[in-house]
Amino acid sequence: MKRNKKTLIAFLLPAMIFFTTVFVYPVIRTALMSLYEIDNVTAKVSQWRFSGIENYIKLMNTPVFHSALWNLLKIWLIGGVAVMGLSLFLAVVLSSGVKGKKVFRAILYFPNIVSAVALAVMWQQYVYSSKFGLLKPLADFFGWQWLDPDHKFAAMLIAYCFGMVGYHMLIFLSGIERIGQQYFEAATIDGANRFKQFLFITLPLLRGVFKTNITMWSVSSIGFFVWSQLFAGTGVAIEASLITPLAYLYNQTFSNTDVVVERNAGVGAAVGVVMAVLVVIVFWITSKLIPDDDIEF
Amino acid sequence: MKNKKKASSFLRALKKEAPLTPGYIALTAWSILTILIIGWMFCASLSTTPEIFSGKVGTFSSGLHFENYAKAWSSQNVSKIFINSLGYTLVSCTALIFVCAPAAYALSRFKFFACKFIQSGLVSAMAVPVAMIILPLFCVIAQLGLVDNGIKNRLVLIYLYIGINVPYTTIFLMAFFSNLSGEYEDAAAIDGCSQSKTFWKIMFPLAQPGIITVTIFNFNKIWNEYFLSLIFANSDSMRPVAVGLFSMINSMKYTGDWSGLFAAVAIVTLPTLVLYILLSERIIAGVTAGGVKG
Repeated sequence: MKRNKKTLIAFLLPAMIFFTTVFVYPVIRTALMSLYEIDNVTAKVSQWRFSGIENYIKLMNTPVFHSALWNLLKIWLIGGVAVMGLSLFLAVVLSSGVKGKKVFRAILYFPNIVSAVALAVMWQQYVYSSKFGLLKPLADFFGWQWLDPDHKFAAMLIAYCFGMVGYHMLIFLSGIERIGQQYFEAATIDGANRFKQFLFITLPLLRGVFKTNITMWSVSSIGFFVWSQLFAGTGVAIEASLITPLAYLYNQTFSNTDVVVERNAGVGAAVGVVMAVLVVIVFWITSKLIPDDDIEF
Repeated sequence: MKNKKKASSFLRALKKEAPLTPGYIALTAWSILTILIIGWMFCASLSTTPEIFSGKVGTFSSGLHFENYAKAWSSQNVSKIFINSLGYTLVSCTALIFVCAPAAYALSRFKFFACKFIQSGLVSAMAVPVAMIILPLFCVIAQLGLVDNGIKNRLVLIYLYIGINVPYTTIFLMAFFSNLSGEYEDAAAIDGCSQSKTFWKIMFPLAQPGIITVTIFNFNKIWNEYFLSLIFANSDSMRPVAVGLFSMINSMKYTGDWSGLFAAVAIVTLPTLVLYILLSERIIAGVTAGGVKG
């Protein structure tokens, strides 16, 4: 196509202005901030004091941040295994020729369109209620209450995962539906049962889809915040058992509770950098473990 | 004879469906759980607070209390947060299309020096944690004095809602434009149509299905957006629904009006719910269409 610089610039400029101001500039500035001691988020650059990796060392010596990282790992790993397992299972079931597939699919995805705030209220007031809750019998059986300090985290994680399954299920489902029927027909003729077909045809051909799902799951886990705040209860700082790195950053920089001692914005920036690095590490590991699809189907 | 035939075909169907039974059980159980949780909220919004706390939701022993909705709408700030969100969401979604569609078109059609670079920048931006951008955004916005002034505060929120969704919207529409045939543009070029006219008059209307799908997603995301709103919507009168609900929950221990809270939850869920009921097929297709290629 003929090159027309003016049109090109006019088409790209608005998007690039938004992109630069909301992503490029803030990312660079956060990376820089993490190397300085800054008394206040709004401090001018001239008031920053260079401190090298001091902020990172401080962060690594903060017990609350350890809990935040530990909780994030639990959410990502335990929640991830549960969500991937359940959503793969439901996707396989949905693609096995059940009737009413569209209706089931629509109901399963439904929680994704409801605000997390609304979902959290429903779980706390209904499912986990100690008087008439849906899951009260389970808690009674074990002799605990869902929202007591020892089980709050598990309760939060279950509620969060429940809402996420529909989305990941859809991604698995579209992956399964792209696999050619002829593979399964050939396998049936050769006498492979359904389970074997799943193990040796579906799973290997879903590699790329797994990668997408793990990526999406990691990105949403890193941003885990609203559930922590809602399960923490009202008007208080998010407690250590529920805190995540983003919640820690929020407590540190924006919340007006008195619990926060350290107001150094450089430490907050370091939290951001640590989280970005974690995302990159996860990407790198998944792309090493799951090589790109060399099979066309 | 006829009956026998019917019965045998029924048996055959049963035989075919029988191995699927565990699947049906799993799907039905999961669906019932979903419907119970969300249905309970709707039932609670039509009950009285004492009924909710005695576990009698769904029995409606004192009738249906539609007045909860009227009360929540007028006295509990719900009208305010609802109208705020509606304004923010509609303006941001419209702006996103006019900002991103031309950019997506340029990135998918024009070959130029920084094209690949911008594309990978946009894809990586979708994975950038909000913690990595929030501090400088806050700093700049506070220094410009934009957080405590009425209309400016609203514009800041809209600007951020647009900015945060630019990468996703652009990438989504880019995939869409690359799938459109180039023949229309060639024909238009032969007829002497300028590139920007070709885009707005021919390609933009052709991209309508993609634009609608991505707008539904943006609508959902912006309507339910929480973190940025929590930090940048400073006063009660600025708050969108998610943060507004949160502050309503916060005040529950003083007001105790739980039925009003559930009515509020139901009201603010309504727009996305209606969209979903009308367009669920399209939304479900959109989830896997290119929105997740990143």
